[in-house]
Amino acid sequence: MALSFNIGKCVAWAPGLESEQDWQLWQRGERPLAEELSLPKLTNIPAMQRRRLSPFAKIALHCALEASGDHQADIPCVFSSRHGDLHRTTLLIESIAQGKDLSPTQFGLSVHNAAAGLFSIFAGNRAPLSAIAGGQSSFMQGLLDCVAKLHANHLSQILYVYCDLHVPDCYRSYVCDDTAIGIGLLIEAAEDTGNTYSLSHHEMTGFVNSECQALDFMGFILSDESQLQAKINQQTWQLCRNT
Amino acid sequence: MSNLNHEIKLLIIEALDLEDITVDDIEDDAPLFVDGLGLDSIDALELGVAIKNAYNIKLDGNTEDSKKYFYSVKTLSEYIQLSQ
Repeated sequence: MALSFNIGKCVAWAPGLESEQDWQLWQRGERPLAEELSLPKLTNIPAMQRRRLSPFAKIALHCALEASGDHQADIPCVFSSRHGDLHRTTLLIESIAQGKDLSPTQFGLSVHNAAAGLFSIFAGNRAPLSAIAGGQSSFMQGLLDCVAKLHANHLSQILYVYCDLHVPDCYRSYVCDDTAIGIGLLIEAAEDTGNTYSLSHHEMTGFVNSECQALDFMGFILSDESQLQAKINQQTWQLCRNT
Repeated sequence: MSNLNHEIKLLIIEALDLEDITVDDIEDDAPLFVDGLGLDSIDALELGVAIKNAYNIKLDGNTEDSKKYFYSVKTLSEYIQLSQ
């Protein structure tokens, strides 16, 4: 079974790739990912709220706010991340190891739905919202959750936000596709005309580790390829462009 | 005394991520919460933990006394000196 949808808006942020033009240059192979990750300014968010935003939250919120635009106050959302705000969690674990009291702010904002919660507070958004993690398939699992909700609940649109940062040094040797990237997608119900996409997945045998799904997705969306395949852990994800 | 005040201001700025605020922006006598610096209840918890970690002093969250101690840099400083 394939689920169809439209992409109304696509916003992404990665080291050195911040604007639409940056991403187009990257897709044509004219600009590589940079070493250093800079952060969005988020000038619309008051300084007293902004100070509690970690780099992870800043990138997730930037993608969420830019992709949802005028709909930010009432659009249902799905947030997905493989590791979540692992830098905050790591600081908490280090505090425990050192016998220190835990920072209440770090604790409150280390949960997996923290970025989604911060978005809903800032945007005043009370629509249904979920935060999911799906291992190395987190990007595709999140997209599936999003598109399934679009269909099941007969929504006209839903916001999808995916974000992961480089893991802290102490975890680096355990992670193979360690990419820092945030993506915000305004997903819309597919109309008869125009570019629509359909997502499906099926089981396969054997384990194949695909590269970073989110980065592959950006490469696909900016290209004129007809399909993107991500093979991973006994599953094949297929995203097709229907022209 | 003024050294401790300075230290507390640095602690407040660091513990609460007040990026845009310097020591000079915080007055000794001005209220820290709501009216003055505009800190909120999460900040109160955070500051309590930071003071405990730095001075080994326990400040109970919700007593009338703790509200008095948390009022300003000056009251915090007096409480820390009293408890040491």
